[in-house]
Amino acid sequence: MAEQVGQISTGKKIAFAVGSLILAAIYFTFLDWFAMNIQGLDYFYMFRK
Amino acid sequence: MATLNKQARKNVWAFLALGTFVGLLLLPLFLSLTAGASGEAPAPAASTAPPTAKPADAKPVEKSRDVWYKTEGPVVGAPAPKTTDGPKDYPRYNFESRVILWVALQQHLYYGSFVLAVPIFCMVVEYLGIITKDKALARKYDQLAYDFVKISLTAYSLTALLGGIVIFTFLTLYPTFFTYLSSIFRPVMATYALLFIAESGTLYIYYYGWDKMREGFLKWIHVSMSVVLNVIGTVLMMLANSWIAFMQSPAGVDADGRYLGNIWHVIHTTLWNPINVHRLLGNMAFGGGVVAAYAAYRFLTSKSDEERAHYDWMGYVAMFIGVCFLIPLPFAGYWLMREVYAYRQQMGITLMGGLLAWLFIIQAVMIGALFLTTNYYLWQGMERMRGAERYQKYIKYMVFVLITCFIVWLTPHTMVMTPAELKAMGGQQHPVLGNYGVMSAKNGAINTIITTTVLSFIMYQRGNKMPTVKWAPLGNAFLFGLFTMAYVNIIWLAIYGYYIPANVRVGLSVPQVATTLSCLFIGVLLNSVMLKGAKDLGPTVWGQISVRSQYALIMLATSFTWMMGLMGYIRSSVRLFWHVNEIMRDNSPWAFTHTIGFGANMISFNVLFFWMTILFVFWLGSLGVKKVPVTAPAGQKIPLPAGSH
Repeated sequence: MAEQVGQISTGKKIAFAVGSLILAAIYFTFLDWFAMNIQGLDYFYMFRK
Repeated sequence: MATLNKQARKNVWAFLALGTFVGLLLLPLFLSLTAGASGEAPAPAASTAPPTAKPADAKPVEKSRDVWYKTEGPVVGAPAPKTTDGPKDYPRYNFESRVILWVALQQHLYYGSFVLAVPIFCMVVEYLGIITKDKALARKYDQLAYDFVKISLTAYSLTALLGGIVIFTFLTLYPTFFTYLSSIFRPVMATYALLFIAESGTLYIYYYGWDKMREGFLKWIHVSMSVVLNVIGTVLMMLANSWIAFMQSPAGVDADGRYLGNIWHVIHTTLWNPINVHRLLGNMAFGGGVVAAYAAYRFLTSKSDEERAHYDWMGYVAMFIGVCFLIPLPFAGYWLMREVYAYRQQMGITLMGGLLAWLFIIQAVMIGALFLTTNYYLWQGMERMRGAERYQKYIKYMVFVLITCFIVWLTPHTMVMTPAELKAMGGQQHPVLGNYGVMSAKNGAINTIITTTVLSFIMYQRGNKMPTVKWAPLGNAFLFGLFTMAYVNIIWLAIYGYYIPANVRVGLSVPQVATTLSCLFIGVLLNSVMLKGAKDLGPTVWGQISVRSQYALIMLATSFTWMMGLMGYIRSSVRLFWHVNEIMRDNSPWAFTHTIGFGANMISFNVLFFWMTILFVFWLGSLGVKKVPVTAPAGQKIPLPAGSH
C-alpha cells in the first residue's frame, strides 16, 4: 500500500499515518461504546467499578 | 432519447412481470398461512364430534397455553404420542434406523443446499452479464450462469428423489413420530408441495428458455425468473427449517404437544430465524465451494490453455461468491448459539461446554482450515498478476497471525484426562493454555482471522494495479490506520473480556464483529474507489496458477461438506432423547448420543457418498458439452466482476 505514498514527503507520510490512526481510534472507541449501549450494556464497566 | 425511453419501458415491464411472478407464485403461501393462523383449518378434535349434535350439547372448546409464546389457544390437535420400543412405533430392518435416516437426510440436505445456492449464483452472474458494458465479458458471464444452472439441473432431480427417500424412510422407520409431525405441519407441507411444483416449473422454463430469452426485454424477464426461482427456493428452505426448529424449540403447542391452531407460532419458533440465516449463508458458501471444486476438477483435467483459463476464472468467481458468504457465517452461528442459550441454557451448555463440546473443537479446526485455505488460494492467485510480487513480503507475517489465531481458536476449554494427568496439570484447565480456551480469546482469534482474510483480499484486489487518484497517499494512510486500529481494538476487547463479569463480557462480541465488518465494508469499498482508473502493472493471466491452488479449492469444498455434516449432527444431537424437545420423547433403542468417533465416521461416509454422486452429476453434465467458449486467447486478460481487481 505504499506505492503512491512514496511520491510525498516523509513528514507528510508520518502525519497522514498518525492522523489516520487517531481517527480510527476515535471511530472504534465510539463503535465499541455504541455497540454495547444498544445492548443495554456499559462499555466502560471496568473503569466505573 | 427515444432509445432511452424504450429501454426504460422495457425495464418497467420487466419489473411488473417480476412482481406478477412473485405475487402469483407466493399466493398459496399467504393463503395457507392466513387460514392456518386464524384457526380455520379442520380441527381433528372438532371433527370427531357427532355431526348430529346440537350446538347446545357441543362441548366447550378446551383451551391451553402455548409452551413458548405463553398465549392461550383452542386445543385442535391430539397430544404427542407416547411411544414404546416395538414394531408399532419403531419398525426396523435389523439395522440402526437412525443411521439410515441420518444418511438419507444428510444426502437430501447436501443436494438441497446445492440446488438452493447455485441458482442464486446464477442470478448474480446473469445479472452481471446484463449490466456489463463489455460485450465479450457479458457473453462470458452469461455462459457461466448457464453452466451453473446446467450443473444444478441434474442435482435438482436427485434432490427430489432423495426427498422421496427421506419421506419413505420416515414413514417406514418412524411412523408414529412422522404422523404426529405431519398432523401439526399439514398446511406447511401442502404449501411446500405447491412451492416445489412452482420451483420445478420455473427452473425448467428458466433453463430451457435460455436461448429464446437471450436478448432485450426477454432477457430481463429471464433474469426476473431467476429472482422468482430463488425466492421460492428460499421460502422452501425456510419451511423445511421450521420443522427442525420446531423439533428443537417447539412452539404453537401446549405442554402435551397439542396443536393450538396457530400455524404461525408453530413455524416461527425462537430458533427459526437464526437457523434460516445460518443455513442460507452456509448453503451459499457450500454451493460456492462445490462449483469451485467442479471448476478445479475441470482445470486439472484440461488439455488446453484456453480451457485452463476458463476454469481458473470460473473457480475464482465461485470461490469469491462462496467466501463472501463464508465471512458473515461465524457471526450468524454466534447468533444461533446465543438464541439457543436464551431458549434453554442447558441446551447451550450441552452444545458448547458439555457432551458435544469436543465436536465444536473439531468445528473450530474446520473453520480455521477454511480461512487458511481461502487465504492460501488468494496468495496463490496473486501469481497470475504481474506487480503482485510487491505484496509477497507481507504474506509471512499474515501466516504468523493466522496460525497463532488458529491455535488459540482451537484450544479446548477442558481436556478429557486421567486422574493422574489431572493432578499433574493442577486442575481441569492448564494454568497457561487454559486462558485461551474461553470465548474472550476465541472471539478475538476468529475476528483477527477474518480481518486478515479481508486484508488478503484487498492485497489481491491491488495485485496488478497502481492507484492513480490524487488522494491515494491519504487513502493508503487511512487503510493503514483502519486495519492497524481494528487489530488493536479486537485484541483489546478480547483482553478486556477477562476483567469484566460474564453478563457484560458476552456483549463484547458485538463491537468485535462490528470492527471486523467495518474493515470489510470500509476497507474494500475505499480500496475499490481508489482503484478506479488505476494503472495496470500487467495483465491477469488466467490459467497461469499453481496446481496447488486448485487443490486448495477442492479442500475448501470438502471442508464445507464435512462441516455441514458435523454441524447438522451437533444441532440434531442436542435434543438428546427427544424427538420434539420436552414434548415427545424418543423411546427407540437409538436414543443415545454416539461417540465422537462414530459420529465422525458417519459424517465422513456422508461426505464421501455425496462427492462420489456429485462427481457422477458433473460427469452427466459434461456429456454432450460443446467446447468451452473462450473469447479471449489464453494468456490475455479477462476482466473480472465489478469490485474485483
